[in-house]
Amino acid sequence: MKIYTQTGDRGKTGLLSGERVAKDNARIQAYGDVDELNAVIGALAASLGTEDDRLREQLEAIQSDLMHAGAWLAATPESASRAQLHPVTDAHCRALEAAIDHLQNQLPELRSFVLPGGHPRAAWAHLARTVCRRAERWVVHLMQQPQSGGPAADDLGTIIAYINRLSDYFFVLARHLNHQAGTGDRLWRP
Amino acid sequence: MTEFTLEVAERHWLSEETFEIRFVRPPGFDYLPGQKVGFVDGAARRDYTMLGPVAAGHLSFCVRLVPGGRFSPKLAAARRGDRFAVTAPFGFFTFAPSPRQAVWVATGTGIAPFVAFVRAGVRGFDLLHGVRSPRGLYYREELARAGRRYRPCISGPLPDDYDGPSPFGGRVGDGLRAGWPPGDYDFYLCGRGEMIRDLLAIIDSRYEGAHVHTERFY
Ligand SMILES: Cc1cc2nc3c(=O)[nH]c(=O)nc-3n(C[C@H](O)[C@H](O)[C@H](O)COP(=O)(O)OP(=O)(O)OC[C@H]3O[C@@H](n4cnc5c(N)ncnc54)[C@H](O)[C@@H]3O)c2cc1C
Repeated sequence: MKIYTQTGDRGKTGLLSGERVAKDNARIQAYGDVDELNAVIGALAASLGTEDDRLREQLEAIQSDLMHAGAWLAATPESASRAQLHPVTDAHCRALEAAIDHLQNQLPELRSFVLPGGHPRAAWAHLARTVCRRAERWVVHLMQQPQSGGPAADDLGTIIAYINRLSDYFFVLARHLNHQAGTGDRLWRP
Repeated sequence: MTEFTLEVAERHWLSEETFEIRFVRPPGFDYLPGQKVGFVDGAARRDYTMLGPVAAGHLSFCVRLVPGGRFSPKLAAARRGDRFAVTAPFGFFTFAPSPRQAVWVATGTGIAPFVAFVRAGVRGFDLLHGVRSPRGLYYREELARAGRRYRPCISGPLPDDYDGPSPFGGRVGDGLRAGWPPGDYDFYLCGRGEMIRDLLAIIDSRYEGAHVHTERFY
């Protein structure tokens, strides 16, 4: 199957639910950022050593959640397509919170800002965190937009909560990876 | 990735180049009309769309034999009892009722998901089927009976004995322009990538506000 569709050359693209929209449409921005985030997580996972199987599995589970979130964002709220999709749920958010707590408990308390970077893996995690924040901004923006085809706002609260937790997760993961590598936190000394 | 094994029950030719192949439906194999499965062939995979009806005891596919192709010749040569490994059914090219008029456009075997929609009870659609010769208008009667409009688009010469519905000539894009004035439509496009690309260009410029669902076969 060829992957280039050549159908987007006129600045429009199609949503999963069938609408034709401009490529800078908020919905496209939102799931585009989720896609970018997924790619950064892939780079992080690819940089892990063989001893990090558990973390790799956790990242793959997050990537799968983000695929679902992306598909959800790519369909308008009242479309029939949504019925076929798997929404991100509170359970996904709880699982992330548990993972954050687990990592956090092993880390020393932080009394200053950290500079993003350190070990390359931690640097990927920081990049994931920042893309996460951008995705969150676009999803919030999208949620505030009136929808095409009806006035109903799209309830994206759970996706926003999930992406919000995810940026916290990548922050503690970055610290964890720096501590694991012996790099420690790179504290900002203004 | 392999989830089911399909056993060939029967195969018959619809034209010199296209056949319908039926498999015994394995337990637990549930799908939505318009979904497909991937046939696993070593490291390669080829997707084929189920024709329906979804509740039947068999799974049918309409397949074009691509000469020199990797996999379709294997299906064309399959015999009763042969087994094939397939993925679970998947895909989003399913029918969603809406207040807009549904216009389905297929080229060749891209008719398959539309047959599945009809066999699931969808009615009142418009259908434009692009083929090279009238022999390629598979399932013509079944589709014409169920639709509001059924129009073939035949790019090759029309045989003298052709007695089907009045066809458009040339490309499906020309047929679409000629037969469907600007309006509120849900387009479903299935088949050749080139057709999908051409039609998206037409839709974007001529049918403002239309919804478009696409399934590219190759
Ligand atoms: C979502 C999806 C659903 C599909 N459903 C069907 C279906 O229901 N029935 C069906 O016959 N095919 C279907 N296809 C196409 C099918 O998956 C294969 O691509 C096709 O059978 C050729 O495979 P092959 O290994 O024989 O040829 P390959 O060795 O892959 O050679 C491919 C060559 O054949 C051309 N080609 C591929 N498909 C066709 C075709 N149908 N007509 C003419 N030329 C073609 C390609 O452009 C390419 O040049 C579907 C494809 C997709 C992506």
